[in-house]
Amino acid sequence: MQDTKQQKKFSDDLFQVVGRREEQSEKINRPNLTGLQDGWLRLKKNKAAIGSLIILLILLVLAIIGPYLSSYSYEQTDYEKVFMEPNSEHWLGTDKFGRDQWTRLWEGTRISLYIAVLAALLDILIGITYGAISGLKGGKVDNFMQRIIEILVGVPNLIIIILLIMIMKPGILTITLAMVITGWVNMARLVRGQIFKLKNQEYILASRALGAKNRRIITSHMLPNTLGIIIINMMFTIPSAIFTEAFLSFIGLGLQEPLASLGVLINDGFRSMRNQFYLLAFPSIVIIGLMVCFNLLADGLRDALDPRLRK
Amino acid sequence: MKKRFWIRLGALLSIVLLLSACNFSGSEATDSSESANDEEEKVLRLSLENDIPDLNQVKTTDGISFDVLNNVMEGLYRLDEDNNPQPAMAESVDITEDKLTYTFHLREGIKWSNGEEVTANDFKYSWLRAMHPDTAGSYSFILSDYIKGGEAFANGEASEDEVAIEVKDEKTLIVEVNEPTPYFLGLTAFVTYFPLNKDFVEEKDDQFALDHESILYNGPFVLTEYDQAEGVVMEKNDEYWDKENVNVDEVSLKIIKEQSTALNLYEAGDLDRVTLSSADVNAYKDSEEFGTETQFTSWYIQFNLGKEPFDNLNIRKAFQLAYDPQILTETVLNNGSESAYSLIAPDMHGLENQSFRELNGPIIEPNAEKAKEYLDKGLKEIGGSLPEIEILTADDTVAKDAATFVQSQIKENLGVDIQIATKPYSGRLDAMREDDYQFAISKWGADFNDAITYLDLWVGDPVSAFRGSYHNPEYTDLVYQAKEEKDEGRRLEMLMDAEKIMLKDDAVLGPLYYEGSAFLQKGNIDNLVTHPYGARLELKYVEIN
Amino acid sequence: MKKFILVRLVNIVITLFIIATATFFLMKMLPGSPFDEEKLVDLTDEARMEFYARYGLDEPLYVQYLKYMGNLVQGDLGLSYYYKDQPVNSLIMGRIGPSALLGFQAVVLGLSIGIILGMIAAFRHNTIWDYFTMIVAVLGVSIPNFVLAAILQFYVGLQWGLFPVAYWESYESSILPTISLAVTVIALIARFTRNEMLEVLQQDYITTAHAKGLGDLTVLIKHAIRNALIPVITILGPVFVSLLTGSLVIENIFGIPGIGSLFVDSIKMNDYTTIMGLTLFYSSFFILTVLVVDILYGIIDPRIRVHGKG
Repeated sequence: MQDTKQQKKFSDDLFQVVGRREEQSEKINRPNLTGLQDGWLRLKKNKAAIGSLIILLILLVLAIIGPYLSSYSYEQTDYEKVFMEPNSEHWLGTDKFGRDQWTRLWEGTRISLYIAVLAALLDILIGITYGAISGLKGGKVDNFMQRIIEILVGVPNLIIIILLIMIMKPGILTITLAMVITGWVNMARLVRGQIFKLKNQEYILASRALGAKNRRIITSHMLPNTLGIIIINMMFTIPSAIFTEAFLSFIGLGLQEPLASLGVLINDGFRSMRNQFYLLAFPSIVIIGLMVCFNLLADGLRDALDPRLRK
Repeated sequence: MKKRFWIRLGALLSIVLLLSACNFSGSEATDSSESANDEEEKVLRLSLENDIPDLNQVKTTDGISFDVLNNVMEGLYRLDEDNNPQPAMAESVDITEDKLTYTFHLREGIKWSNGEEVTANDFKYSWLRAMHPDTAGSYSFILSDYIKGGEAFANGEASEDEVAIEVKDEKTLIVEVNEPTPYFLGLTAFVTYFPLNKDFVEEKDDQFALDHESILYNGPFVLTEYDQAEGVVMEKNDEYWDKENVNVDEVSLKIIKEQSTALNLYEAGDLDRVTLSSADVNAYKDSEEFGTETQFTSWYIQFNLGKEPFDNLNIRKAFQLAYDPQILTETVLNNGSESAYSLIAPDMHGLENQSFRELNGPIIEPNAEKAKEYLDKGLKEIGGSLPEIEILTADDTVAKDAATFVQSQIKENLGVDIQIATKPYSGRLDAMREDDYQFAISKWGADFNDAITYLDLWVGDPVSAFRGSYHNPEYTDLVYQAKEEKDEGRRLEMLMDAEKIMLKDDAVLGPLYYEGSAFLQKGNIDNLVTHPYGARLELKYVEIN
Repeated sequence: MKKFILVRLVNIVITLFIIATATFFLMKMLPGSPFDEEKLVDLTDEARMEFYARYGLDEPLYVQYLKYMGNLVQGDLGLSYYYKDQPVNSLIMGRIGPSALLGFQAVVLGLSIGIILGMIAAFRHNTIWDYFTMIVAVLGVSIPNFVLAAILQFYVGLQWGLFPVAYWESYESSILPTISLAVTVIALIARFTRNEMLEVLQQDYITTAHAKGLGDLTVLIKHAIRNALIPVITILGPVFVSLLTGSLVIENIFGIPGIGSLFVDSIKMNDYTTIMGLTLFYSSFFILTVLVVDILYGIIDPRIRVHGKG
């Protein structure tokens, strides 16, 4: 009874037929996130990765402004004040030429980062181009390009880097180039693999069927979907490049004095670690910090960007 | 399937255990036998800073092989504790009035380690072998430059009969030299002048000197172990003529390439002496075990007179005066190296009891103001501005430090920015030889105790880019005349003048320092001599208390 | 399978050929020569040529190249310049022992500790064990091994006197260098094992096994471990590279007469033939390792079957 009364309260003209709207049935209620935005949301939940990111940013800022915070330049010698322990005047002490270690440390960090990032970027540039061409062309071209890669993969990188630096004049660019010459291969393989995987996905086929040109497919479908892998790989490439540079300095194939890099500083510190441990300690802490943070961040990114883990 | 997996894993693990158990079992056995020996055995444990490249005495050229060979072999003479040559295989020598003929009388009872007698023939055989184009190494000049007929023989232009080495009888060796050479007896103590036993060498053929059994010894010690990468163990030579005066029973020379490792070993009691790196000197300076020594090795800046801007004399002088070597030696190197104000090392033989350095005094006086004046003068002459300047240096720590020092001082005192170009060891030598440098950090270690070992290098005959393309006829004449001069006083005058001309007038070099080293040595070790030239390490006189 | 291996072998030959050729010409481009010694620079050009002639270095480049390759085919790496006139083959053979032992021990140590750590971390996912393992894994690849070696030598060797500071005399002297080398290996393997294990534990067959009522331990041993461990073989390549890098610095620090130290020295001394010889040696070893890994992987892992398509 009551029902009918109520029914009467809401008269039919208060309602209208909505029906099924084509355009809304497919609507996704979850906010539309690109892979990267989604990844960022996940990454934010990873404390280690975020902590690393913050430390990396701090180190980066120090590498940029650190040298200007003290009144010394990285090459300025002072023979009255050699081997001074850290004090208020020289915050991280001085080396055997009386050079301020604070300035040299951040100058060195900057150069090391510069070398590593440049190497990683060049790797990516060459790697993507090579990988994309190989992956997209397919067939004989791909076959041939793969043969080249297979051969390059068989060469122990380090040996080739050492040989190249021996014949070129040691310097920032030389070290970078030597690392790139062997380093891009990995990137190329990853990109090619990813493109092969994507190439046969339905949405690419659909896009193609709708008349999208190669260029559009590459820029709006393939690249965004490859970006994750590229970023992760870059995060692993940078620390290994920093390490390689340090290693090269240690076996005497590093930068020219008075330029400093973390490798040069660690090497100098190693020679005087017995009695001037601070010379080894500070650059070691920075390099270990960089390595740890890049690795944790890379791990975090991989977890965040890896589609297999999306829930 | 699964079982097999675990079985395989087990097998692998047991192999590992087995391997680790049997490895080194050989050396452990020797360890235990050593401790069984009577306790009075006197053992000296030293280290070498690099591999031993070659113990074939006629070919080898490096200091480390020299250090080993000098103690297991012996020449006609041997350097004593004061670095003067004393009769060794020879008992005495007769030198003719014109100082051109040496008659060596060999000692009685000198033997090879296999018991055979050492004869004059062994010397002739070895010396000819060291000069013969087919068998010689790069040190053949140290014989052929002096021994009459040697040069033609070394060039393959003369037969061995034309070389003036004569075996009069088994115990008498007569040698003629080209010019009066006051330091010739010192040369006979040099590694390339050691004797060789012909039968033994021919029997070993291409295996000669490859292990400790394929060398025949006639020195205070014999090798009982030899591995290029590990080092050597020496024991007292029972056949040695002077064995009563050899105090040590066994010496080990192990290769340790990192200085920090050597220091750790020293502190752990595994080494009796260690060379300190400059960073560690201050911490040990006051220790009783601390000591320093200086060698006849001069480090200097070589200006290239054929390249801008150092073709200009005033600019060279400006650079030469612009740095203070004392800062380099006392602050940067800090290892017993002496600051240099001239080329010839202190203590190098001069006349009678006075050293060359005492007689010729310091030549260059660093002076920043004067340097600036010279620079201004020079700049006017070349039209206003300097080109880009690069200093070439080898890539080892010491050379790099020296270059960094020069760079900082030039910047401070002249206001000029220079770049450093480091090259590997042979890369630097090659660049200098190919005239591809403006100025470079360079050095020369004396082969014998006479100023001519240095001054001869810059005679410019033919002009050499390596020596800065320097050629001054006046200088050349002085050196050549000195070589022929029989009167030692006049000879010395000429050499002293030559040094002044090259350094002061022509400013060809900028002296840096005379190489030294700082070391720690256990208190119970005495008389461990290191010679400042030739083969450095001398173990014959060592005493362990 | 046969065809797969055949194709790979052909590839290897091509690779080695290219490496040999590249190294040969790179060496020729190096400034300086092995005969540049302080005492030799004043030699006349004539005398210099004589030295060159003795080593066949006066001949046209292509003749030198052909000769070198000819010898190479017969397994002859030529004579060293610095270690005067010694065959590079015997130099390498004389030094391979210590390096091989260190490398082997480091791999065994790295594998055992790394796998155990990795598995514990995976089982106790997101516990203190997991974090500890991850810290070890990250630090392990973050500390330069020469710094670690120096610290071990100073504290463990000198201050605490537990193991010899340096030298190559008894088995104990191989322990510190092995640890210095193994740390990176442990880190690499622990991290890899953990990730593999985590993935395996999420697989359906593990759930099935649990559902069947099998105990944790049984599931672990019978199903999880084996499947997680198989892929570990694949990182032997990177492990080899890290051992190679490590040996170059660690052998010098501990005074070990191995090939790493030989390689560094030959670089410093411009000893062309030794550099070329070692480059080829390292490359061949590396390539063969990778091949063996691939073959083993194909045999062990049932999911991967190579159908002769290369």
